[in-house]
Amino acid sequence: MKNLKTILVFALPMLVGSLIMASCASSKVAMKSGAQLWGENCVRCHSTPSPSAYNNTDWETIGLHMRVRANLTAEETQKVVEFLQSAN
Amino acid sequence: MKKLILAVLAFMLMLPNLYAQDTPAPDPYKPSKTQFMVRGYAHAGLNYKKVGDEVESTFVGTTFNPIFIFKHGDRLIFETELEFAVEDNKLEIGFEYANMSYILNDYMTLRMGKMLLPFGTFIERLHPSWINKFANMPLGMGHGGIAPTSGIGVELRGAIPVGSMKVLYYGYITNGPKLNTGFDAEGNIDEPDEAGQLIFNNFEDNNNKKGYGGRLAILPFSNSSVEIGGSIYGGAVGDRGSFYSNIGAMLYAIDFSFVRQVSAVKGIVDIKGQYNLTNVDDATYFEPEPDGSLTPYTFENSSNAYFGQISYRPTMSGNDVLKRFEVAFRYSAFNAPEGAEWEQESTQWAVALNYYMNWRTLFKLSYQSTNQVGGHGVPEGQTVVTDGLFFHWALGF
Repeated sequence: MKNLKTILVFALPMLVGSLIMASCASSKVAMKSGAQLWGENCVRCHSTPSPSAYNNTDWETIGLHMRVRANLTAEETQKVVEFLQSAN
Repeated sequence: MKKLILAVLAFMLMLPNLYAQDTPAPDPYKPSKTQFMVRGYAHAGLNYKKVGDEVESTFVGTTFNPIFIFKHGDRLIFETELEFAVEDNKLEIGFEYANMSYILNDYMTLRMGKMLLPFGTFIERLHPSWINKFANMPLGMGHGGIAPTSGIGVELRGAIPVGSMKVLYYGYITNGPKLNTGFDAEGNIDEPDEAGQLIFNNFEDNNNKKGYGGRLAILPFSNSSVEIGGSIYGGAVGDRGSFYSNIGAMLYAIDFSFVRQVSAVKGIVDIKGQYNLTNVDDATYFEPEPDGSLTPYTFENSSNAYFGQISYRPTMSGNDVLKRFEVAFRYSAFNAPEGAEWEQESTQWAVALNYYMNWRTLFKLSYQSTNQVGGHGVPEGQTVVTDGLFFHWALGF
């Protein structure tokens, strides 16, 4: 019972907050550029990588690695990799 | 006639050139479909700890975690991570994970092998030293914690856009964790003080019953700034044919993440949290007495651990030096079952000041204080306070 109470204390504010924030959500991924997606997704875990850190071939490998590890969508991965390749 | 012969000869001489223009010369540097990369991370540093009146000061590391990635075409990838660390004056080599992934379609990826389990987000995404904002993990996480780190099995995962939101799903089957009963496989007394704990680095199936788990998460914003997830993992944990063969366990976790560059505060605000709950079926364990006899006992085997952290980095500051700094605060707690030999209640707070040399290299200066009641080496009824100061240099590559 004590554990259930703790879970509720954690979960309820998150749920309510998310629903409120979801109602304010704007553009879809399809409308976003690779640069935008690079800025929004990488930073969820770590600092955004510099495009010049790797070459075009490496970015493809890293893109596939991150698609699996961070569970990115196919579209997000493709756009971010294309941006990094074009900017390096 | 003479003109015609000359024209034909001229045309024949031009043919190789025309052909060459249509077919580009082979590019000796064109990348192949098969690629191999070594990535990873490393850290080294200085730890200073004070436990009661005892002081311990030591340089640590370098801990080195190479990640080997083999990409075979656009859909298949194999990766493995090893960990090299010096512990107790010996080189310890850890086998963190090794698995292959195949992209089945835009919304589904199949993984098989030894995997970091998506139980919450900390272990799979945040624990590497160049990503973790602190010098160590929150209480109850990592090796010896109550949340699983890795498992051997098969997993389906994917991300599905739903309007402006995104849903992440994970489902997996593994060999499952094992129950520490206080006895080894031959029935000899072994680690009786840890009876009732789950052993997650059990990679052979000890009961032919698999562990089942999954995570479902929602990113309600199109900018992916918020993620809320729930995880579950469970199955039989006792050895087959043993006194504990019917004992099972269920583990739960909820996690939250908010990361966003906020103009009002001119920087990145990063808030993360995870709550873990582990329930193991009630069982009878045995405490060895000095005279060699065994005293049976039982307890309600429920543990929990949680952490919450917030960090701020002024990335939009006009000062080039200031924008490289980050401040972070974390609170974590671990509560082990009352009545267990490993019963304890611990809380910890930590603050950190980090300096980013670049996007993947940082210096971490952190101070933390831990209060522990119960547990190994803590006299009954007393609270042990451990203060620590850590200076680490972490690098991702």
